[in-house]
Amino acid sequence: MNEYDDRQIREALKRSYPPINIELGGDLWPAVLRKLDTRPARVPWYDWVLISLSASVLLFFPDLILVFAYHL
Amino acid sequence: MDLLRRFSLGEIDAFETLVRQFQGDIYAWIVRIVRDPGIAEELTVETLWHIYRARQQFRPGGNFAAWARRIGTNLALDHLRRNRPEQRLLTEPAGATQPDHLLQQETRKKIQQAFRRLPATLQVAATLALVEEQPYEEIADALGTSVGAVKLRVFRAVRILRKQLNHLGVRS
Repeated sequence: MNEYDDRQIREALKRSYPPINIELGGDLWPAVLRKLDTRPARVPWYDWVLISLSASVLLFFPDLILVFAYHL
Repeated sequence: MDLLRRFSLGEIDAFETLVRQFQGDIYAWIVRIVRDPGIAEELTVETLWHIYRARQQFRPGGNFAAWARRIGTNLALDHLRRNRPEQRLLTEPAGATQPDHLLQQETRKKIQQAFRRLPATLQVAATLALVEEQPYEEIADALGTSVGAVKLRVFRAVRILRKQLNHLGVRS
């Protein structure tokens, strides 16, 4: 038995990977449509309002960060 | 208005027609790369979803099949990168005392294992060129590179594989 040369590598690869069936089993359109219909989870508007309010309060009263940190 | 223009404007009926027309080609290309029908189906759906999301980037005069194939190839590459086998290789030499068919089976397994450990870009180029014998022009187009670059990747893949197999003591 010899060490592989490049040509043998190519042949060995072909032998190691038998032909694969490339025919598609069925129609993928329903699956594509389902995926298109799936919307990413949206953050409701009132959550954005709450986040904005909290950020504003902390911006104008930065000392509150220490109070919160103390209670955590 | 032609189909591709209607698709690029977001008409879902036009997209459905394109899906039915090209899903087989996209699947066939992806399954050649990942060699698993289930994963290839999932990646084909993912590809078609990406195609629809990126429809405004498509120029209606362009080659839809080539564009779709390139998106599919990128997703298949990502899949191979995410699912690389463990680094450890079987290190025991191919058993000299085993019957021929077992020896061949073991050799085949080691070749496949070494092949899957190649960097994804080399693996894809070598699979399409050497195993699937696809034209270099098509591979280059799908990988978004030149024919020369594909040949170089195939050459590098073969060299790395040869080194690994010789290191493992797998002989022809």
